[in-house]
Amino acid sequence: MSQKGSEVKTIDRKDLKVHSLGRVEGDLDVRVSIENGVVVDAWTEATMFRGFEIILKGKDPQAGLIVTPRICGICGGSHLTKAVYAIDTAWSTEVPPNATLVRNIAQAVETLQSIPRWFYALFAIGLTHENYKKSPLYDEVVKRWAPYGHELRNRRHRIGQAGRDLRHLRRPVATSSFMVPGGVMCAPTLSDASRARSPSSSTTANTGWRKSGSAVRWSAGWRTRRGRDVLNWLEEKPEHRDSDLGLFIRYSLDLGLDQYGRGPGRFLATGSFFEPDLYRYPTIEGRNRALIARSGVYDGENFHDFDQARVREDHTHSFFRGGGAFHPFEGVTDPIDPEEGAKEGKYTWAKAPRYDVPGVGELALEAGPLARQVIAGRPGAEAHQDYDPLIYNIVKEIGPSVMVRVLARMHEAPKYYLRVKEWLRRIDLNDKFYIKPKELRKGAASDRRKPPRALSDWIVIKDGKIENYQVITPTAWNIGPRDRHDQRGPIETAMIGTPIEIPKIRWSSPASRRARLVPRLHGPRYDAKTKQEIAKYEVTKF
Amino acid sequence: MANLLWMHGGACNGNTQSFLNADEPSVIDLVRDFGINILYHHSISMEFGEQVHRLVHQILNDEIPLDIFVFEGTVIQGPNGTGRYDMFHDRPKKDWIWELAHKAQFVVAIGDCACWGGIPATKPNPSESVGLQYLKGEHGGFLGKNFRSKAGLPVINIPGCPAHPDWVTQILVAVATGRLEDVQLDELQRPQTFFKTFTQTGCTRVQYFEWKEPVEEFGQGTRKGCLFYEQGCRGPLTHSPCNRILWNRQSSKTRSGMPCIGCTEPQFPFFDLAPGTVFKTQKVLGSIPKEVPQGVDALSYSISAAVSRAAAPKWAKEEMFVP
Repeated sequence: MSQKGSEVKTIDRKDLKVHSLGRVEGDLDVRVSIENGVVVDAWTEATMFRGFEIILKGKDPQAGLIVTPRICGICGGSHLTKAVYAIDTAWSTEVPPNATLVRNIAQAVETLQSIPRWFYALFAIGLTHENYKKSPLYDEVVKRWAPYGHELRNRRHRIGQAGRDLRHLRRPVATSSFMVPGGVMCAPTLSDASRARSPSSSTTANTGWRKSGSAVRWSAGWRTRRGRDVLNWLEEKPEHRDSDLGLFIRYSLDLGLDQYGRGPGRFLATGSFFEPDLYRYPTIEGRNRALIARSGVYDGENFHDFDQARVREDHTHSFFRGGGAFHPFEGVTDPIDPEEGAKEGKYTWAKAPRYDVPGVGELALEAGPLARQVIAGRPGAEAHQDYDPLIYNIVKEIGPSVMVRVLARMHEAPKYYLRVKEWLRRIDLNDKFYIKPKELRKGAASDRRKPPRALSDWIVIKDGKIENYQVITPTAWNIGPRDRHDQRGPIETAMIGTPIEIPKIRWSSPASRRARLVPRLHGPRYDAKTKQEIAKYEVTKF
Repeated sequence: MANLLWMHGGACNGNTQSFLNADEPSVIDLVRDFGINILYHHSISMEFGEQVHRLVHQILNDEIPLDIFVFEGTVIQGPNGTGRYDMFHDRPKKDWIWELAHKAQFVVAIGDCACWGGIPATKPNPSESVGLQYLKGEHGGFLGKNFRSKAGLPVINIPGCPAHPDWVTQILVAVATGRLEDVQLDELQRPQTFFKTFTQTGCTRVQYFEWKEPVEEFGQGTRKGCLFYEQGCRGPLTHSPCNRILWNRQSSKTRSGMPCIGCTEPQFPFFDLAPGTVFKTQKVLGSIPKEVPQGVDALSYSISAAVSRAAAPKWAKEEMFVP
């Protein structure tokens, strides 16, 4: 019916499925619908099932200390931390202050080691993608961050050193189970404590990151309050501009990484690290106040206290029998054949965690470093708690994005580093590290935390064994699918609006593969765990 | 130059994280100095999606030779043997694993899951997980008892939860530099250079073990004593170099006061984590450890233990690891 000269809108719609996007376990595929070169809909599909919650049923109440750190090889210490607090709560243990300090330190140190490893090994290599070649900063980025590069090698040596040095407090392995109900297994010696202190003063924050222009500089003393301060820091000195952080910010602004990946703009943090004297007797009720990095929910306009009773997991679109939403104490894990599930509109192994915001309803919330730092900006912190409005202000000024998410993560490094120093100082080597608990035959408790800090464990103990065990990781909050109201998960939301250039797929010959490790891909790619963009899409015929 | 492909099945990525901590040599050293060409690794390669698909096809079509196939995680066979609990490019991952293992010169299983099924294969094993050539202590596993890679070797098992980064990189270097004949495998196909010794070998608590002095409780209680008697330590029963090649170059579980949980052995987690077995020594007659050090009979052990306790010097009852 169109006449010559009139405008006819043709919709060029394509569905794409992109495989093996996840950089870590869980294995993520993503399906997107694209109209006129822009993502208009997205589905995140976790493709692997192990069944930890089924394995834990009927086991020793302390089995979670051994099993849950093996859910994720990156943040085993976080899993251990929340697993131990879940039992502490269920058994009503007394945790001596020393033990809380060691737990805090170990958890923070795991994050301190994870941040540079994540940035250099998993994330920044994606910035060397040749799709970014048009940027004047591209050559410098490739020189510094290309996979297996010389400069990366130097940085990794320093980072490896930092991780080792900070682990003097007798914490041998990520999957160690050295936290036990009532305290910790270890009793550090003078040598352990002093070795832990001195390298931490000179390594993580300084080695890996001093050369790279760590965030320490602009957050020290928490004087930095606004995004403008970050830009001022950038321009202050050539070292700042040329640091890895400086380069990342300039490159992000140049590429527009401050524009993509907004996400839902609503956040949840379940909090981490405890003030020892306020959490000698861990309880669900006493938890929020005892936290140092606070818990909370931000619905885009208002802050709310975090209440674990308002958490639900919806599995309407997950490969588990039936549908609906349950509180984790009532949670069930009953897997079905994905082929059967697909017929009911199910498409992933992740469940969809939701939070019932008072007066608003069940919402999909983003978890992770950005969420933690937004919550850190909530006014009204007590003296022992972290109040730091920088990232919250940036989110209010320019909105969340890939760039802001990375900044939030990097911003945590110096904060944790300073806390670790303080906690080390407070350890009393001659006091107790453990108080033997009574092993109660029943109880129900939950705890949540860590670099995945919305990590949560809900345990029900009956007759001296585990009756039910449910874990919700921050990744689950982010990567979860739609719920029964068809509300998308955070990553699904974050992808909408992203422009996609559909490339002609050209294959490199095997011989040239090594020479050019950079693939020809387009559109943002998100890390399964962190939701950060790490590379660009590739197109598969669907 | 050796082409390496790293895949993961039912995994936690822990062995990759451990691998990234390697420093003698480091991952980058492997690539730049030892001629290991990482064709694809899910965490650290730029490739993904259709590129990975194509790469795998090129290997399977003999266009790219595969020297080393590294596998991390379990082979997931559920539900009902279909493998649909773990899909890779819309096809059960187990089918890819089978084909790639049969194209490789060497197959290396890294971590307990790939070796014997590990934690996911703990009862009731909801994902029907198995290791590449074992299920727990039983020979067989996914590839079968008689599997040999193209170079004529069974799967090289590097267990641990996770495996120490040095165990991994040093074996990869041995393969890439043609020293593999120096690598002797034990009856569980583990390199003896790492797994002949016990976790206890080099443990700082070994004098307390000698005089049968227990750790009474965790925390400050670990300033003295051996964890074998009360806390369920498996150090004398487990083969690993954990106290010879230290973790983070610093420490080990037992040095830190944590009982060894036997994570380089196929039965890990022991006793299927039944109530009453976690961090508690299993005993007979209320006092004698049910499992005694390898090769010792229970009676001889009890006699020697009684003699040792009686002969123990005074310092063996005192704290040694003091502030």
